[in-house]
Amino acid sequence: MDAQLLISGVIFGLSIGGIFFLMAIGLSLCFGLMRIISLDQLLYYSIGAYITYSFSLATGSVWLGVLAGCVVAGIVAFAVERLIFRRIYERELTFSMITSFGILIGGIGVIKYFWGVVPRPVSVPTMTQFDIAGTEVPVYRLIVVAIAFLVYAGIWLFLNRTIIGKAIRAGIEDVEHVEGLGINVSRLFTITFIIAGTLSGLAGGLHAPLIMVDPQMGLEVLAFVFMVVIIGGLGSIKGTLVSAFIVGQVVSLGSILYAPLAQMAPFAIMLVILLIKPTGLYGSALLKR
Amino acid sequence: MVKVFRWWWGILLAFSLLAVSRVFLPLPFINEIVIFSIYTLGCSFLLGRVGLISFGQPAYLAVGAYATAFYLFYFGTNPYIGILLGVLAGLVVSFIVGPLFVRLRSDYFALVNLALAVIVFYLMQKVLAGITHGDNGLWILTRISSTPVLDLSRPDQFFIFALLVALAVWAFYKYLDDSIYGACCLATKINEDKLKFLGYSNYSVRLLAFVIANTTTALAGAMYAVYLGFVSPEITSPARAADPVIVTILGGVGTLYGPIVGAFAYTGMKDVISKLIGNWELFIGFLLVFIMLAGEKGIWGTLQPLLEKLLFRKRVTTGTADSEEAHL
Repeated sequence: MDAQLLISGVIFGLSIGGIFFLMAIGLSLCFGLMRIISLDQLLYYSIGAYITYSFSLATGSVWLGVLAGCVVAGIVAFAVERLIFRRIYERELTFSMITSFGILIGGIGVIKYFWGVVPRPVSVPTMTQFDIAGTEVPVYRLIVVAIAFLVYAGIWLFLNRTIIGKAIRAGIEDVEHVEGLGINVSRLFTITFIIAGTLSGLAGGLHAPLIMVDPQMGLEVLAFVFMVVIIGGLGSIKGTLVSAFIVGQVVSLGSILYAPLAQMAPFAIMLVILLIKPTGLYGSALLKR
Repeated sequence: MVKVFRWWWGILLAFSLLAVSRVFLPLPFINEIVIFSIYTLGCSFLLGRVGLISFGQPAYLAVGAYATAFYLFYFGTNPYIGILLGVLAGLVVSFIVGPLFVRLRSDYFALVNLALAVIVFYLMQKVLAGITHGDNGLWILTRISSTPVLDLSRPDQFFIFALLVALAVWAFYKYLDDSIYGACCLATKINEDKLKFLGYSNYSVRLLAFVIANTTTALAGAMYAVYLGFVSPEITSPARAADPVIVTILGGVGTLYGPIVGAFAYTGMKDVISKLIGNWELFIGFLLVFIMLAGEKGIWGTLQPLLEKLLFRKRVTTGTADSEEAHL
């Protein structure tokens, strides 16, 4: 394998990993705090991508579109949390899994209604290439990686340096005690859900220029996102970051070696990791409350 | 005699209704329903009786379908042997993966199964493309030989066969529900510690349930293969992974007749709605959310107490699952 292919493969893997991270962080936070498996994060991802498409057509700027995608995804997440999740926090885990899958399928139907089934292209905001050791690398992919790390830093600061973030972290440990301290847990849940939805929307907006935007895009990445969350350990943010980049690299380098490997290798890795350490790399033995 | 009749009458009634509906419903539709309800029964048993949710049922469906298709494509022509081989393959595969999977917690169990479905999909589509012909699939319709009794290459006779198989499968599951083993399954769902205290092993109860359910799923796969005369990786595609779960919920979790009602409603709605507005996901998705919020009893779970009240003037209990949980 020559160096050029390797370098572009690694960069490709990093950018894919960054997008997986942005999506998986929502799932991970929701599981950690509310003990729900929120498959509908993938709907906010598609919404983010579609709003990016429409906005970039209307205004001519993809970055503005990504911003609008984040906002709309956050608003939809807020509505869904208020209308549906509010009623099911107390139920068992499989319950939220099935309900959120229903929301995902229904949401795909709504997207089909508004935008049709034809895949839509989104133009790449910057076509400039960056030179790394003689290999031309698209700058946009580097920007995606940078944004992923910025978000990680932001989340870290938010969880460690603000009162709400500290309350969320405490809630992940023991939600009843947090409630006992007089903190409004239900508002905490809403805030976490909106953050998760917004980040999923951001992931969709950033991913849109790299792929075609189509209604099934959420289902296509579903398995990968899950894998990221599981390998990293449900509820762990650091684990999510590490495993997102592992999965990104495996997908990208695997496809250079042997094309079918790209889809299969991550699943094989996940099976092995689960069988050795059933809670994932960084997951603690979290039990259902 | 009365006792025997009382045990059988529900199943017989359900299947005579299915047989009668053959008269006024198109044959492909009703065949699809019978196979689909066998497919769903495995998932319904796992979810409702043992409390294991699996998003990877298509993996086992594909195992059954491909085993049958391989036999019919490369070796023989007798469809009965093909179906038998499909069931055997399902049994073997679930015995291999079962011990690894049933140890996991229920949420991880769902996802590991999904992973297995994806692996099987790419295995069949790309890696084994030399044998499976990749996306083109295996066409076995012309290779199925006709047999003197119940010629499976003819859809109308296939319907009789499918109905008989379904009848046998339902009788088996009803027997399981009534047995001590069925009670153990419910107990492992509701209270693991108590079952352990009583001297049963949670692990072996779950393993057996896993094997039974997935062998049933493989049987459905084998029947799909013979009925359609065509197998492609499409049957295990990840996008369809949630179909049996949706149908299970739709029909009523853990109820005996839920899968039939659910398969009927799901296939029917898919047909009607995709003709009307061409956008059935929207409807199915929100229906699923609605059923979950309205108390997750499903169509049959809601109908059953009403029917019993109507037929026997029985005092209505709060639902099947609750009353059986009370027995424990």
